[in-house]
Amino acid sequence: MKIRRFAPALAAAAAMAISLSGCGEPEDGGTGQETGGSQAETTTITLLSWTREPQMTPQLEAFAAAHPEVKIDVTYSPPVDEYIQTLQTRILSGTAPDVFIITAENKTNLIEGQYVLDLAGEPFMQKVPEYNRRALGKDGAEYGLSVASWAGGLLYNEDLLAGVGYEAMPESWDDFLEMGKKLKETGVAPYLQAGAGLNDTLIALLGARDQQEDHQMDAKIFAGESTFAAEYTPVLEGYNRLVTEGIMSPDVVGLDSEQLLTEFSAGRVAMIPAGPWNITPIAEANPELNFKFALVPALAGTEPYASGCYSAGYAINVASDAKQQAAAKVFLEWLTTPEAAAIINQETGDATVLPGYEPAVPPQYEPMVPSIQAGEIYLPQASWSRSEDVLATEFSAQLQRMIQGEITPKQVAEALDAKLAAAG
Amino acid sequence: MAVKSSVRAPRLSARGPSRGWKQVAANQAFLLPAVAAFIFMFVIPLAQSFYWSLTDFTGYDPNPNFVGLANYKLILADKSMLSGLAFTIMFAVGTTVVVTALAIPLAVQLNKAFWGRGFARSLWFFPAIPSAAILGMVWRYILSPLESGALNTVLKTFGTGPVPWLSNSRLAQLCVIGVGVWCATGWHAVLYTAYLQSIPAEYYEVARIDGASSLQQFFTITLPLLSPAIVVSTFLLMTGGLKVFDLPFTLTNGGPGFSTYTITHSLVQFGVGQGRYGISSALAVLFTITVTAVAFGQLRLTRIMERHFG
Repeated sequence: MKIRRFAPALAAAAAMAISLSGCGEPEDGGTGQETGGSQAETTTITLLSWTREPQMTPQLEAFAAAHPEVKIDVTYSPPVDEYIQTLQTRILSGTAPDVFIITAENKTNLIEGQYVLDLAGEPFMQKVPEYNRRALGKDGAEYGLSVASWAGGLLYNEDLLAGVGYEAMPESWDDFLEMGKKLKETGVAPYLQAGAGLNDTLIALLGARDQQEDHQMDAKIFAGESTFAAEYTPVLEGYNRLVTEGIMSPDVVGLDSEQLLTEFSAGRVAMIPAGPWNITPIAEANPELNFKFALVPALAGTEPYASGCYSAGYAINVASDAKQQAAAKVFLEWLTTPEAAAIINQETGDATVLPGYEPAVPPQYEPMVPSIQAGEIYLPQASWSRSEDVLATEFSAQLQRMIQGEITPKQVAEALDAKLAAAG
Repeated sequence: MAVKSSVRAPRLSARGPSRGWKQVAANQAFLLPAVAAFIFMFVIPLAQSFYWSLTDFTGYDPNPNFVGLANYKLILADKSMLSGLAFTIMFAVGTTVVVTALAIPLAVQLNKAFWGRGFARSLWFFPAIPSAAILGMVWRYILSPLESGALNTVLKTFGTGPVPWLSNSRLAQLCVIGVGVWCATGWHAVLYTAYLQSIPAEYYEVARIDGASSLQQFFTITLPLLSPAIVVSTFLLMTGGLKVFDLPFTLTNGGPGFSTYTITHSLVQFGVGQGRYGISSALAVLFTITVTAVAFGQLRLTRIMERHFG
């Protein structure tokens, strides 16, 4: 009796279930049939995008056209803190996507926690410079595909430098300081920097020393074979001449980056440390200003160098199924094509480091492109192998104290040694 | 007192113990939502924080290692933390004392009848409306140590300056406290004004007939009768001061060096910024204990003062 009463309802429910399953997507990560009766399999992978939706969509559309067999289910989380937090939560809850971003802020945790697949030996990894591969790797393993980099250096007011007889940035630190003194005599501030964080000038000076040591400077410190005091003190002493010789006012510790850009745009300062993201605000604030990037002049025994870092890299979840990992590699392979490089460069402005495509950059930034493509750039947080944020915070604070004259360059470096020892 | 007790006892027994128990239970039931909220939103998170404080939890591995009191030892040996603790206490005590010293006389003035009183009250209250973070950014521009800074430009017209407002450690500390006082004085003056309006005018009238001066009236009538407001105001200032983050973060970002670093700055930096939840939790536990101790100490002190003046 009961069965007869419920039979129509059961039949309706069954029909609805069948029709819905026919319309629905295949199970996450599963396979499905292409419309039109073809039997080609599609594999769905999940991606947590760091790039915002307007810039990412053209990339995904181009990939979908090139590889219909791989479907990407994308979610977005803006960089940096929110992305790191979101990914961390998803990893902790066991819902990490198949493809996600590995970068300076999370690479230690991701690598040490063994959450990312080793991509060393994959053909697409060979297309990016050794710097980009090394930066997101450890002990010979390579965990992230970074297809672009940025470089920072000295942004200079061409007219002010020309006013004291310089057509270009000097190459040696001594000449640079000499030029600063001439600029000061004309009444303009030769050089200013923001107080918080590590500035591109000091970073580039450290990078030049790292290059001199075959990019092993920080590796030796973290392996216990050297110390910050031994490696960083000579560089800090050279850098501190900016203060002791009156080129830079100690008041910079109270400046923020907005104030710095305002001073530069107004022509009240001749040189500032900067990155590519500063070009547009300065050009908008003062379209008449003639300015250009240059490598940071070199301390004795080193070459002019740039600060900079790889762009965030794509990593594959080690816990994903083999099928998803294979599909993820297809996506990563596509990202290294000239077609992808052109779209990435066009949509994000990132200077790509891939063969077969010359990235378009603003004319002021052109002097930095060779360093980017050669991977001759340096950022301590990317080079340090653990406690990056802790050390960066300590470095920034101790640097402010040094600029104020409270402590010596050697004490700054020793404070970093003490911090590293305490952090373990 | 003894008579009252002997009267109450028979009435309670006349209602019967079961009815009394039910009444108490019914009354207590109304407290359940608050108790539940307290347990789920305070006790459990605090217990979890204490647990994490004994581990090396980084936010990635759900099975962190037990490290005992290592996080606590690290905090107590860290110069930046101790510097943060020192400035936090300096800020909390400094703003509490100065705001109280300024807000009471201001409230007395704003309580008097004068043309434009409403506007004057609004003007003083205004700094309490925007977030401290926004005010910090505005003041950062005003207090720029460069010659082109707003305040230094004004000083230049008088032939002085530039003053390194935010680039000198001691001046930066004074600036943060000064802006904190500027933000809070108006709000607390309004609080005192509300209490002032509840003081009967007859008291002042009698005092005037007795020949009391304005100063005598203030110290013998106004101040004692404001003691409940002083308790509330100083309690809010002290607890708010101990938790301060947004103002020093936007005004000086903790610098120069660690001179304006605060405990909450460390908490956010270690926890959110660096993913070192074990250390951050240990700091939170120590901070909770400190704030609780300071709050209880302050309450006890103000009650003694209340009894003395009241």
